[in-house]
Amino acid sequence: MDLIQATAVHKRFGGITALNGADFVARSGEVHALLGENGAGKSTFIQILAGAIRADAGSILLKGKPFAPASPSQAQAAGVSAVFQELSLVPDLTVAQNIWFRREPLSALRTVRPKALRQDTQALLDRYHFPRLAADLEVRRLTLAERQVVEIAKALARSPAALILDEATSALAPRETEWLLTLSRDLAQAGMLVVFISHRLAEVRRVADRITVFRNGATVAVHDTREVTDDELIAEMLGRRLDRLYPERVATATQKLALKVRGLSAGHRLAGVDLDLAEGEVLGIAGLQGHGQRELFQSLFGVTRARGRVELWGKAVALRGPRQTLGGEFGLALVPEDRRNQGLLLSKSLRENLTLSVIPRFARFGIIDAAREKALVEEMVQFLRIRASSPEQLAGTLSGGNQQKVIFGKMLLTQSRILLLYDPTRGVDVGTKGEIFQLMRDLAAKGYAILFYSSDLLELVHVADRVAVMRNGRIAAILAGDRVTEHHILRAAMFESAAA
Amino acid sequence: MPFVARHRAILLAYLGMIGLLLLTSLFSPGFLALAHLRSMSVLAAFIGIVALGQTFVILGGGIDLSVPWVLNSSAVLLTLISNGQDGPLGWAMPLILACGGAIGAINGLGIALFGVPPIIMTLAVNVILQGGILVYTGGAPTAGAPPLIQYLAVGRIGEFPVVLIIWAVLAGAASLALSKTAFGRHLYAVGTSPTVAAYSGVPTAQTTVLAYVTCGLTAALAGMLLTGYSGQAYLGMGDPYLFTSIAAVAIGGASVLGGSGHYIGTIAGAFVLTILTGLLPALNLSNGALLIVYGVVILVTVSLASEAFPELGRALRRLAVRRPGRPRNMAEAIKTPAGNREDMP
Ligand SMILES: Nc1ncnc2c1ncn2[C@@H]1O[C@H](COP(=O)(O)OP(=O)(O)O)[C@@H](O)[C@H]1O
Ligand SMILES: [Mg+2]
Repeated sequence: MDLIQATAVHKRFGGITALNGADFVARSGEVHALLGENGAGKSTFIQILAGAIRADAGSILLKGKPFAPASPSQAQAAGVSAVFQELSLVPDLTVAQNIWFRREPLSALRTVRPKALRQDTQALLDRYHFPRLAADLEVRRLTLAERQVVEIAKALARSPAALILDEATSALAPRETEWLLTLSRDLAQAGMLVVFISHRLAEVRRVADRITVFRNGATVAVHDTREVTDDELIAEMLGRRLDRLYPERVATATQKLALKVRGLSAGHRLAGVDLDLAEGEVLGIAGLQGHGQRELFQSLFGVTRARGRVELWGKAVALRGPRQTLGGEFGLALVPEDRRNQGLLLSKSLRENLTLSVIPRFARFGIIDAAREKALVEEMVQFLRIRASSPEQLAGTLSGGNQQKVIFGKMLLTQSRILLLYDPTRGVDVGTKGEIFQLMRDLAAKGYAILFYSSDLLELVHVADRVAVMRNGRIAAILAGDRVTEHHILRAAMFESAAA
Repeated sequence: MPFVARHRAILLAYLGMIGLLLLTSLFSPGFLALAHLRSMSVLAAFIGIVALGQTFVILGGGIDLSVPWVLNSSAVLLTLISNGQDGPLGWAMPLILACGGAIGAINGLGIALFGVPPIIMTLAVNVILQGGILVYTGGAPTAGAPPLIQYLAVGRIGEFPVVLIIWAVLAGAASLALSKTAFGRHLYAVGTSPTVAAYSGVPTAQTTVLAYVTCGLTAALAGMLLTGYSGQAYLGMGDPYLFTSIAAVAIGGASVLGGSGHYIGTIAGAFVLTILTGLLPALNLSNGALLIVYGVVILVTVSLASEAFPELGRALRRLAVRRPGRPRNMAEAIKTPAGNREDMP
C-alpha cells in the first residue's frame, strides 16, 4: 500500500506560489527521488510532510489516514523524519547530544545518563555504518559535511517509516555520498521509504526506484527510474530542452598574469602552493577532500592567515583580509563555500545583500542614493536572471540557485577582476548550473581571471582551461590540453608517482 | 519600500504607546493635559537619548552595560569643572563628550579587536568608572549645575522644551544614519552575521567601535542634561538608565540578538517606559513594591513587544512540555535572525 499519498497540495508565501497542485505518491520499501529546478517547491513540499509548515490546501494521507502534522515532533511521532536543507543542529552541543536532543536517556532523577547517551549513539552509528564521527565532539567544530551526517543520524534515531533527505548529498564528499547512497538502498530494502532530493542525476539514477518531477510547484511526471533518460528528466524539470550544460570553451587566456602565488602556506593544510593564473583564464582546482583547497581559497581571500608571496596583476600584495582584497579593479572576490553562513544575510533583502560589499559607493555626502542603488540592483537581477518576487524578498526565502546568483551578483558588483569560486554550483539545479558556467566563460572572455574549485570533476573537465590538482597542501600536478580528464585528475590527486 | 511592513514590531510599539496613553487617561483625567504631556516628554527624552547609543550597539549585536557610570562620570565631571559657572562650558562640554566617546572607543576596541564579550567588557568599564568617581569625589556631592545646562534641560523655547528639540535633532540624525548611510547598512550586517559581514568586506571592527562610541557620546550628553534637570550631580544618578535604555530598545521592536530594529521604534519604547513610570505612583505603593511592579511590568512589556517573544514563548513551552521535538524548524530559522547565527568554527 502507498505510505504517502499527497494530492493537489497548495502553498503560498505572501505573493509567492511555492506549491500549485503538487501530487506525490510513494510506498514503503522504495527510494523515491523528487526532482525539480531550484524553486520548484521540493523543500516546501517536504517541509509540509515533516510538519515544519502547513499546507494551504490539498490532502495528504499517511498509511491511508489523513495526515496534517502541526509540528516536526508530530510528524516524527507518526513516522516521518526529515533532514532539512538548512541544518538545525545546536553548535554548542556534542554530536551525541544533538542526535538525541530532547530524547536523551534519563535517570530516575531526570538527569541525562552520559554513558547511556554515548552507548546509544555508538550503537546507532555502528548499525548504519556511519563514517567516523566523534560522538563527544561539539558540533561547532565539525565541517559542513560532518554536520550533514549528524543530521542524518538524528533523523534515523527516531526510527522513521519515511526518511526524507533534502539535498543531503550536496554537502557531502564523494566517499560520504557513496555511503549515503548505499544506506538509502539498505533502508529501502528493510522496508523504509526514503524520499531523496538531489540535483545530481547520476546519484538519483543509482539510488532511486521511482522519480517524481516537480516544476513550478506542480507535479509534471512520475517515472520508474529505469524507463526514463536524463534528457527527458531535464526537459521535464526545465520545461524545455537544455541544448548543452557546458558552454563552448574558447581559449581566452592572455599572456598577462593576474595572480601569481609562490610558496603560500597556512598551518599544516597548505604547504607551499605555487600558482599562475592568467587574465582571461579559468583555472580549475581539484583534489580529494581536505587536501588544502579550502585553505587555498581562504588564504587568498585573506580570511585565513598565510605566509608566502602573492602578486596581483604584477604587484606584490599582503593579503590582509576581505577589506583589502575585495573590490577595485585589482582586487579579488570570493564565492564562499557556505552560502548560508558566509555568503548571505538570510534575514535581509536581496537588495541589501547584493550591494553590501559596495554600499559606500552609493553614498553622496554620506547619504545613500537609493534610486541609484535600486537601478543597479534591478540591472543585476536582470543580468543574472534572478527569480524573486521583488528586490525586497528576503534572501533566506530565495531558492538555492537564486541565492547563489545573488552571491555572484554581489561579487560582480565589487568590480574585482580576479574571481575565486569555491564550489559555486553546489546545490544548484541543472538549468542554473548551465547559466553559471556560461557566465564564467563570458567573464573570462572579458578578461576576468577565475580560480574555480568544484567537487564535481566533470565540471572542471568541461569548464576549466587548465586544472591544478592539489595533494597534501601542494599543487601535485597542473593539467592542460587533452590531459584535462577525470582520469588524469584522479591519478594526480591520489598517487605520488603521477606528478606531472 | 514600505517601512512599516518590514518593521511590524515598530508599528506595534507605537500602537502600544498610544493604547497606553489612552488607557492611562481613563484612570487619571488630566493625564493628556498639555503640561503633563510636556513633562512626560522631557523624561522620555532622557531615556531616548541614552537609548540612542544603546540602539546602535544592540543593532550591531552587542550591549553596553557601562552606560550608567559613563553618564554619572560626565555629570560629576561637568559640575567639577564648571563649579556652577557657565564660563568653562565652552570647552568643558566638548571635552566631556570626547571623554564619553573615548570610553565608548575603549569598549568597542576591547570587543572588536580583542574579542572580549560585550557584557564583560562594558560591565568592567562600568565598575572601573564607578570606582574612579568614588575615589575622586570621596563620595561627597559636588557643586550645582551651571545655568546654561539647566536651561538646556528644563528651559523652553516658546512652548517647546529645549531638551525635546535636542532629542528631535538627534533622533533625526540617528534615523538617517541607520537608514541612509553605509554605516547603517554595515551595522545591520554586523549584527545579523559578523562572518557574512566580514566576508563581504564590511569594516566590522570599525563599525562596532563606532556604535560603542555613539553610545558613549549619548550617555555623556544625557549625563550633562540630567545634571541640569536635577540641578546637581549625584552618585547613582545613571543607574536607572541601564535598564531603561535596554528596555526601550527591546520594547521598540529591535531584536536583542542584533540585526533588526530601528531607532524610530526605540522612541516609542522610551515613551512607553515613561508612561508606565508615571502610572505606577498612582498605585500608592511603597518604594520597594514599586520597583518590583516596575520590573515585572517591563519584563512583560518587553516580552510582548520585542522579537524576543517567539523565543521566550518557545522557552516557556519547552519548560511546560518535556519533549516537543525540534526547537527550531526551517521556517522559523528563516524568519528569526537567529537563522543566521554564527556557528562556524
Ligand atoms: N518562507 C518563504 N517565504 C517566501 N517565499 C518562500 C519561502 N520559502 C520558499 N519560498 C519560495 O517558494 C518557492 C519554492 O521554494 P523551495 O520549496 O525552497 O524550492 P526547492 O526546494 O524546490 O528549490 C521559491 O520561489 C522560494 O523563493
Ligand atoms: Mg530546496
